[in-house]
Amino acid sequence: MNVQNTTHSADATTVEDALAADNQNAVIDSESATKVAMSNTLLTPRFYTTDFDEMDAIDVTPVRRDWDELIAAMKADPNRGHFKKNEDWDHIDWDGMDPALKREFIDFLISSCTAEFSGCVLYKEMKRRGSNSDITTLFQLMARDEARHAGFINDALREAGIAVNLGFLTQKKKYTYFRPKFIYYATYLSEKIGYARYITIFRHLEAHPEHRFHPIFKWFREWCNDEFSHGEAFALLMKTDPKLTSGRNVWWIKFFLTAVYGTMYVRDHQRPEFHKALGVDPDWYAHSVFEKTSEISKQVFPITLDIDHPRWLPTLKRLQKANADLAEAEKKTGLARLAGKISGSARAALAFASLYTIPAKRHDVPVQTRLEPAY
Amino acid sequence: MGLFTRTREEAPCTVEVSHRFEELSAHVRFDNGAVVWPGDEVQVLGQEIMAPYGEVVREERTAIITRASGLERLWTRMTGDFEFMELCEFSFSEEVLS
Repeated sequence: MNVQNTTHSADATTVEDALAADNQNAVIDSESATKVAMSNTLLTPRFYTTDFDEMDAIDVTPVRRDWDELIAAMKADPNRGHFKKNEDWDHIDWDGMDPALKREFIDFLISSCTAEFSGCVLYKEMKRRGSNSDITTLFQLMARDEARHAGFINDALREAGIAVNLGFLTQKKKYTYFRPKFIYYATYLSEKIGYARYITIFRHLEAHPEHRFHPIFKWFREWCNDEFSHGEAFALLMKTDPKLTSGRNVWWIKFFLTAVYGTMYVRDHQRPEFHKALGVDPDWYAHSVFEKTSEISKQVFPITLDIDHPRWLPTLKRLQKANADLAEAEKKTGLARLAGKISGSARAALAFASLYTIPAKRHDVPVQTRLEPAY
Repeated sequence: MGLFTRTREEAPCTVEVSHRFEELSAHVRFDNGAVVWPGDEVQVLGQEIMAPYGEVVREERTAIITRASGLERLWTRMTGDFEFMELCEFSFSEEVLS
């Protein structure tokens, strides 16, 4: 491939340069030629509704000072200039990359892009349906960050020859439902565990730069600081109503913690080549991420999971095995498929129940909620 | 809305797709103030909406909203919460590589 005299948006350092790059003209001039060159991946975000009246009724008065400070910091947008490519964006030899690694890495980029995109859709919808200005401002700011992250990942995908297809817009899509309190638990956790995941990889690669096989990892620190502040906002939201983190809801919190940790463990073990290339043992990585997330979540949750319990790791491994067997069974046909699926599902459910029933660690939640990224 | 029956309605809508380096997003807004409830299905009619890279495309279209029946709405309210994992970066995605 002769690339000497052409520019590519992927190498641009500013948005303007990216738009002026030669490959952009190609896209606009010759849509069909681009289609041939790029494989297509359909984004499949979910669409949500919730109880918008309940959400609108939130009163942030009890946490007003912290709230205003956080919103002001998000409005100042210190990361605005961050998501640009500069000289640190090294050239990547996609063709020379081991195919198994390439497949897993692209899968990683696509699921990251879909998660950011889904978050953006959800936050934007809340912004539009709400009328409480504290809440709508927050969701507007978070939608901005998620769309920016999605754009950044999209560009990395384009460089790998993958075009994101937004065809879902004209497909039939069903709106699912989230209770507001479940939105708080789930998004709080997904933002905080996202922070812990990105910063753990960032710090690991700082110490072992030889494992940094793609430049996107260099952007993880600022990226995860956005995730961190989104999590802070949800922590403050939960603080406005003590019922959200007490009584029966503690069982829901435990459920969300277990489900999020369990899914992460299972999913990461499906990307062995990716972790090998990063020089990361997935078991070590999982434990390190859980530790950070647990420590942070003490800011608002009255319990943390006992991740050092003798049953914890062996049961996670059983959960992972059950899921792997389930995926194998999907490929079979007839009775073997049915039997495999029943057995896999039953073992996964049992493992989950076993994780859920490990006694949690209780602790006092501090009066002062706000935290700064410290890892 | 019946307990078992679905109804269909048309709603004018504006679709906005941003396919830029600094923002990848896509949103549908109903111009007549129609509101979507749990279990409803929405389909924007017409050709696929493609924004070339680097551009924002805004189109006025018609959407068909298929209203969920009472039972479906109830079912979605009860079970929808369990799809929350989608928001995590490590969620299971069903990407279609063609």
